[in-house]
Amino acid sequence: MTAAILPALRKPRLGRFGDPAFRALTSAFALLVLVILGGIVAALARGALPALAKFGLPFLASAAWNPVKENFGAAAPIYGTLVTSAIAMLVAIPLAFGIALFITELCPAWLKRPLGTMIELLAAIPSIIYGIWGLFVFAPFLQAHLEPAIIASLGALPGIGALFAGPPLGIGLLTAGLILAIMVLPFITAVMRDVFATVPAILRESAYGIGATTFEVVWRVVLPYTRTGVLGGIMLGLGRALGETMAVTFVIGNAHRIQASLLQPGTTISAALANEFTEAVGDIYTSSLIALGLILFIITAIVLALAKLMLIRLEARAGA
Amino acid sequence: MNAETSLAAARAALPPRVARPGARRVLEEKIVIRDLSFYYRDFAALKRIGLALYDKQVTAFIGPSGCGKSTLLRTMNRIYDLYPGQRATGEILLDGENILDPRQDLNLLRAKVGMVFQKPTPFPMSIFDNIAFGIRLYERLGTGELADRVEEALRRAALWDEVKDKLRQSGLSLSGGQQQRLCIARAIAVKPEVLLLDEPASALDPISTQRIEELIAELKSDYCIAIVTHNMQQAARSSDFTAFMYLGELVEFDETEAIFTKPREKRTEDYITGRFG
Repeated sequence: MTAAILPALRKPRLGRFGDPAFRALTSAFALLVLVILGGIVAALARGALPALAKFGLPFLASAAWNPVKENFGAAAPIYGTLVTSAIAMLVAIPLAFGIALFITELCPAWLKRPLGTMIELLAAIPSIIYGIWGLFVFAPFLQAHLEPAIIASLGALPGIGALFAGPPLGIGLLTAGLILAIMVLPFITAVMRDVFATVPAILRESAYGIGATTFEVVWRVVLPYTRTGVLGGIMLGLGRALGETMAVTFVIGNAHRIQASLLQPGTTISAALANEFTEAVGDIYTSSLIALGLILFIITAIVLALAKLMLIRLEARAGA
Repeated sequence: MNAETSLAAARAALPPRVARPGARRVLEEKIVIRDLSFYYRDFAALKRIGLALYDKQVTAFIGPSGCGKSTLLRTMNRIYDLYPGQRATGEILLDGENILDPRQDLNLLRAKVGMVFQKPTPFPMSIFDNIAFGIRLYERLGTGELADRVEEALRRAALWDEVKDKLRQSGLSLSGGQQQRLCIARAIAVKPEVLLLDEPASALDPISTQRIEELIAELKSDYCIAIVTHNMQQAARSSDFTAFMYLGELVEFDETEAIFTKPREKRTEDYITGRFG
């Protein structure tokens, strides 16, 4: 009976108060996050109050943005934010899906790791670099080659032609959306790749085992199995696209206007904030910008909450 | 020339390494494996295996873990092809055609050689669609015809009465034993000729296991069945032929009764009497 030490006989090294103290310390750290978050929300709300009190709910619907007459509305930046993010998702989701599928299902083993690393490196490029590249390389390229072709072909169609009307400027909603697509691509790809890898080998083999082709296995088995995880990854990417500031500010044109054409300049919430805070004179102007920030915060919080919820549901099922 | 002499002639024409114990009965060879070796990269998991599987018979593969019995099963529908670094040499003749030929159409092969795995693997879709999925891969059927085929497969797998009122529910809502019978139904729905069962009852309770064994006895009349099992009683109960494998080699292959009553090899005897494994 030498090995058995009764718990009562074992003296805690830090004395009786070691564990409670440790618990208090870590709880304080955790609470700090909540305090910071709450503080930000409170500060945003307080700063936004004058503008919201003056304009009321119509602030959300008004496209006016007149610093001289101090008449502000959030509709144009909200519109720009949603449209550029939508374009980014439209481009990035199929691309990310294809890349993730290639990496998990089709890629030769030796290429897997280099390819995955390169995709992840896309996420490591600072957004200011994307902005510079977008303004000096990508936008002129679009202006010279892609946009004239789009205007000539899609722009001539009835209905959706309005989306592609006007002169080729290079900068605008479409350019911003495409840059955003490149920026969120690594995040969506990484999540998709990880959830595709959670499909049990035996399930995949069963599908191949009754003679399904790779496409059929992916489309009918892998994708349904990972549905919620894939959605979670998309939401994560969407969250980033909504909040991205620097690159968008460079290429969107910064015009407080709502226009049908995607080739024309617009603005997003974050671009408006980055551009105008330094020149905002008067309380209402500043307050309106803070109110924009609050709106962006709420939109992003909702998107991220949805993403978390879906990922939790996926984990719950994987554990069952 | 009667059947027996033609069989004898065919046997004489083949190299002697293929084990063929069915001398006392006239049996049709469905799969003939000749000089089959299998490698996981450089590791030889199967070493020059030769044996014949008979149509409408159940052949059991027994042996300690890692002896290569599952690997052998996985060569017969070439599911190993999904993984780089795994390769087989030698010949596996299905109705006389070598399925290891690189030109072999794998989708067609897997339609002919169905497989059921250790754990139930229902697809993330409804019970109906789990069965219909495979059928739709090969045939364009009307709604009514498809429903008939699904019902037929579920009846064959002795599952119809339990699920006929909830075909639209997820396949994952079934119990483990039901899920495994669903997987068997899914495999037979595409009308295969060979069924490979890789420890089909190892994750199931005794009652579900018994149902699976009854099902195997039923299905035998239509298919050539190969079953890998860790359970000696199961091999003895449900198979006609038994192959004992050890360290990637085929030690002994004979009628099940002979293997379990008078094995020729000492290693076989030691294994079935529980002296090692």
